[in-house]
Amino acid sequence: MTLRNPTRRTTLKMMGTSAGLIAAPSIIRPAYAQSNVLNITTYDKFLPEGFVDQFEKDTGIEVRIRLTDDQGKQYNLLAAEGSDPTTDIVTVAGHRLSQFMASDLLQPIDPSRISTWDNLAGPYKGAPQLVRKGEVYGVPLLAGFEGMVRNTDYTKPSDSWSLMFDPEYKGFTTYIISDFVSITMKYLGYDGDFVAYVDKPEEAQAAVNAARDFLIEHKDMVRKFYDGGSEVQQMLVNEDVYVAQAWSGPAAKLIMEGFPIELSIPKEGTYGFLYSFNLVNHAPNVDAAYKFFSALLANPEVGAAMTRQSGFASAFAGVDALLTDRERAAIALPEEQIARIQFFAEENRDMKNEMIDRAVAEIKAA
Amino acid sequence: MTNDVLTGDGQGAKQSRARYSSWIGKVAHSPTYRGTIGLLAENRVARLVVLLAVPLAWIAFFNIGPILQMGNISLLANYPLMDGDEPVYTFSQYALFFQESLYFVPFLRSVVFSIVVTAATLVVVYPVAYYIGKVIRPASRNKALLLLLTPFWAGEIIRVFSVIMLLANRGAVNALLRELGMIDRPIPMLYTYFSLSFGVVYLIALYMLLPLYSSIEKIPNSLLDAASDLGAGPLQRFRRVILPLSRDGIVSGCSLVFLTSIGVFAAPLLLGGPNTVIFPEIIAQLFHGSNDKWPAGAAFSIIMLLISLTTVGLFMRVVGGRNVKLM
Amino acid sequence: MRFYMKNPQNVFLTGFYWAFVAYLFVPLMLMTAMSFKDSNFISFPIDSFTMKWYVQVVQDEQFLSAVGYSLMIAFIVTVVATAIGVWIALLASNEAIWGKAIIFALACLPAVVPGMIQAISMRIFIRAIDVPTGTFAIILGHTVHAVPFVVIMAMTRLRSMPASLIDAARDLGADNFIAFFRVTLPYLGPALVGGMIFCALTSIDDFVRTFFLGGYQTTLPMLIFAKISGGMSPEINAMATLVLIATGAVGLYAERRVRRSRN
Repeated sequence: MTLRNPTRRTTLKMMGTSAGLIAAPSIIRPAYAQSNVLNITTYDKFLPEGFVDQFEKDTGIEVRIRLTDDQGKQYNLLAAEGSDPTTDIVTVAGHRLSQFMASDLLQPIDPSRISTWDNLAGPYKGAPQLVRKGEVYGVPLLAGFEGMVRNTDYTKPSDSWSLMFDPEYKGFTTYIISDFVSITMKYLGYDGDFVAYVDKPEEAQAAVNAARDFLIEHKDMVRKFYDGGSEVQQMLVNEDVYVAQAWSGPAAKLIMEGFPIELSIPKEGTYGFLYSFNLVNHAPNVDAAYKFFSALLANPEVGAAMTRQSGFASAFAGVDALLTDRERAAIALPEEQIARIQFFAEENRDMKNEMIDRAVAEIKAA
Repeated sequence: MTNDVLTGDGQGAKQSRARYSSWIGKVAHSPTYRGTIGLLAENRVARLVVLLAVPLAWIAFFNIGPILQMGNISLLANYPLMDGDEPVYTFSQYALFFQESLYFVPFLRSVVFSIVVTAATLVVVYPVAYYIGKVIRPASRNKALLLLLTPFWAGEIIRVFSVIMLLANRGAVNALLRELGMIDRPIPMLYTYFSLSFGVVYLIALYMLLPLYSSIEKIPNSLLDAASDLGAGPLQRFRRVILPLSRDGIVSGCSLVFLTSIGVFAAPLLLGGPNTVIFPEIIAQLFHGSNDKWPAGAAFSIIMLLISLTTVGLFMRVVGGRNVKLM
Repeated sequence: MRFYMKNPQNVFLTGFYWAFVAYLFVPLMLMTAMSFKDSNFISFPIDSFTMKWYVQVVQDEQFLSAVGYSLMIAFIVTVVATAIGVWIALLASNEAIWGKAIIFALACLPAVVPGMIQAISMRIFIRAIDVPTGTFAIILGHTVHAVPFVVIMAMTRLRSMPASLIDAARDLGADNFIAFFRVTLPYLGPALVGGMIFCALTSIDDFVRTFFLGGYQTTLPMLIFAKISGGMSPEINAMATLVLIATGAVGLYAERRVRRSRN
């Protein structure tokens, strides 16, 4: 199964011969497929310069890095490129994995080709969170979850998501709306990940509607619906909000910096996800990618750099020893809270995405 | 009136002539040029082809081409297509827009928002453009413009964050007010229509300033003198002379600002709040969301495109009046 | 000029102008102040100052090459888009052409399409006509976006350009091309400069089109957006401040040159 471009033929017809003229620069086409090149799309500072230089020297492979800032754009770029991708490795966040896979943009990896696969930390050995249809999709990099964040100067401790709906903080809360619909479903006692609703669309719709109505009812609590980690960081730092639902990484970075911020996992539970390096379907340089993965897992410093940059916990073994006490403390959580994390599942993604997107639009428009 | 305009701008033409004369002279005397021009001068069709060829080719390829791709996607039942799927064409995405208030209401909100922003920008920027174009000494004009131009090079996203620094609960304004003892608790200014408009005007004021300046600057001073010699007060002079003669600039500036503000994505949206959802956000959601809604997103973009271009077209006809002989 | 100075409305206008200057500059001054903050996040209050961000930025090869690459792209885009934009404006303001409104509307299309959608459709389009991503595609994408700004600006003046100007030139023996370069282009002057500024500005500030059309060379906005996703650090403010100072200096230099050449 491959993506194909439905309009190539029609467009060429429409454009006629003149297309040749514009296509002339393709003579100087940059080589995306060369034996000695590897193209990676990832976040800033995820791959330390020293590591990349060393890898290039050891293998003779030239590493080219395209910086991204957002999962949505990365997905749209790959989808637009279709069967002719210009990138070999992408950085996928767990909640997006199903979307990339539904559009057939990724290929599974073969762990036996990665000599250092065993260097993954305990819970990620074999990468159970990344197994789809019996195959492994991606090399796990970082582990994160959707936590509850509060400013300790202005709010009381709480072990429940109800803090997000406490009238005392009216106008001082914020959340990523699509994530929080799931969490609210969990908070209200439904299954926010839709695993229980396979083939039960009515039941699922009722659950989503309950969460939606609850959030609309409490819309006056909200200062802003945000999208990016830097937004919620800035809102917390500027004291525009006191309580927030946020991904663990951005919150941990504030804690590392010494802001009066606490990150916790409430008793109702939350969802977790992995960041992973994934091999793109039709990637031109698969062999180079495997060499890269092997080198990557052999280097805990890379894991430490990613943790410092993102605030998420590393999936590599031996990273903890490389972090400072402050960094370790910002990322560490009590065992009983960690146990409340439920990783996103594989089933029923279409129903989940469809219903949640709809609820998001309705809450925004309310 | 034509004559007045002539005198007003004759100077500009004269000043610039020197710059062009050298190489133009060389080109004009070369045999190749003479031959080509001879051919063109004799042949009306050839002249028309020169005028038409590049613009029409450009528009057809690069303006219409990509939009046709979007149009094609907007009619598909799903996208991306897998191998083996036959594309199924449908108008249902377009119907969706009109059936659901979910999409329709933010669209209306967006249009109203853009109109308000455009009007606000016009009111704020007009006096500034007039001041630079007519009040200060001509020698200082470029400097005055330059001063206003510089901030725009800092980049949109940086400027948005600088607005956040200004208006946040711990931002500069609240800190100042608290220092002065005027407030105890910070006034929430961010994430409202106020901050959104403040930011959008902040980001796009330039698109109003430059067209206004270029049209006000060319109003001949002799006309203004004549008006006051005939006893016109400042207000009358403005209404009867300046405003009508700067109409081109108003039309262009408003078009630019309206078109830019109705399509605002990303950066300015960081300043909006939970109740300021506008249409581009809905489109962004369709593309960025966790489900693939490219066809709906494409259809909505095309609807937005058609309506906003029609709005601008109507505006140009009504406000531009006789000056804009488009048809 | 005689009656302009020293009357109440001009005092008001002067005040208004400076208030507007303050509106544009105060937020940026806050931003610049933050670039000296010794912390990984920008916020008030600034407890301790440091120059380390500047030291870091001026040594950052990635930043310097991104600035150079962005400038190169912006320069080419400005030249190409201005030429094409003026050409389209001439066509759309020509009395003899039928369907000017349609041409004008179509010429403005790329200014209305939200960046994201234009970027995606352009990406699919260049794939259909077999143009590779990279510098050429970025320039193409930026130019398509910039042309409408030139068209609209040029139309501002062309619409009111007296036909007698061209006629006079023709009477003096100029052919169409000489008349265009000697009369029309100088008449367009300020509007054209404005259009060129818009071209350079939209190109230098463009992130989303560049992301979709570019290869593996980083432009300035790509770098800044990537950095912001890791947290709003004073480092980014230092970068923006340096860019601002540089553009301000170039502007001052250009202004002086223009003034000298006139004298």
